[in-house]
Amino acid sequence: MGIQEQYRNEAAELLSSGAVKLVIGYGEGSTADRRRPVFIRTAEEAGRLVVDANCLANLSSYLVQEGLMSDGKSVAVFLKPDGIRSVNILAAEAQLNPDQVVILGFDIGAGDASPLPGRKASDFTPLIESLKTAGLSPELQHEADRLELMSAAERFDFWKEQFSKCIKCYACRQVCPMCYCRRCIVDVNQPQWVNTSSHTLGNFEWNIVRAYHLAGRCVACGGCDRSCPVNIPLRLINHRMAKEALDAFDHFAGESTDQKPVLATFRQDDPETFIL
Amino acid sequence: MSEPFEPKIVAFVCTYCTYAGADLAGTSRMKYASNVRIVRLPCTGRISPMFILKALQKGADGVLVSGCHPGDCHFAQGNYHARRRWTVFRALLAFTGIPEERIKFSWISAAEGAKFAELINGITEEIRSLGPFEQYQELQTVIETQSTY
Repeated sequence: MGIQEQYRNEAAELLSSGAVKLVIGYGEGSTADRRRPVFIRTAEEAGRLVVDANCLANLSSYLVQEGLMSDGKSVAVFLKPDGIRSVNILAAEAQLNPDQVVILGFDIGAGDASPLPGRKASDFTPLIESLKTAGLSPELQHEADRLELMSAAERFDFWKEQFSKCIKCYACRQVCPMCYCRRCIVDVNQPQWVNTSSHTLGNFEWNIVRAYHLAGRCVACGGCDRSCPVNIPLRLINHRMAKEALDAFDHFAGESTDQKPVLATFRQDDPETFIL
Repeated sequence: MSEPFEPKIVAFVCTYCTYAGADLAGTSRMKYASNVRIVRLPCTGRISPMFILKALQKGADGVLVSGCHPGDCHFAQGNYHARRRWTVFRALLAFTGIPEERIKFSWISAAEGAKFAELINGITEEIRSLGPFEQYQELQTVIETQSTY
């Protein structure tokens, strides 16, 4: 039995037994290699679920939909390891109760999806620890190193060119499971911190703030990068922040449901070489 | 170009230590560069990175953020939290090409009036030698001169 069949059966079982009220998974998309999120509420519909190597989106974003979890019932969701880390962060930040989330875990490798054992967020702790040991993406680090060898003025020009493309559609924010603020800082207009029109200065400010708010929280699911209509390498800037959190504070985002958020905690001996 | 460049420096300081230190510099009749504009806040923990971006947006050539030494915070932990934020924010600014030399962080206690005066003079000279932050300010000029925005 393939992974798709196995998970269709399991989803149907979870729904018919009443263990969960909803299964959030992937279904057929607009083209053969695209998947779109589907929301399955009855066992009969479970046949619509698709699990394969094209299932890229981090579906944990849907768990923080307002009111979804407030009835105390459970929701099952298809997640890759990055999505499981997102659930850990959301739980650590008190945005959801991890006991209400049934994780249908899978991983993609060598062009195929394989199931991950475990159904609760805590079951995946050894897996996430191994991800931390494996380290951050070497490809992104290579790209970041290339930028860091430039002078500040050259780097500024690089990002100026990138950010000048931004149309402030906020797709990066909408897709991100970490961007759950009811009122985003860019929507605050008294005072207006970030210019709302999409000129380069305002785009700079928006993208800096977005990356800063993801420092030590981003799990590199790549959702922002994929959703960006003008292909700004957002993953790169997020990677740099993840690296800073790891190097300076030994913080790997989403290790467990009770991991303290990196910027909401401190150690007395945190590094401070730059402070005069 | 006969007039020498006078940098605009914005200092975000906490009221209990660095502002008191600045006060001491003043009452001790120490001279320091008048290029600095001091913004007094309750604690370094209150200093949002947005303040730094706003200062740059409004034409600052350099920014100083300063508060109590670790362990001396009036609110016990504010500066420890601030220190973590500065660490990541500084890395982020550097990565996006905003020169590290323009954004300074320091600990200055209420007794360090002399350190405050020296630091302000030192930063002013450093920013003066760097020149105005034209790369960033150009972006603001575009907004003000192009009607499409």
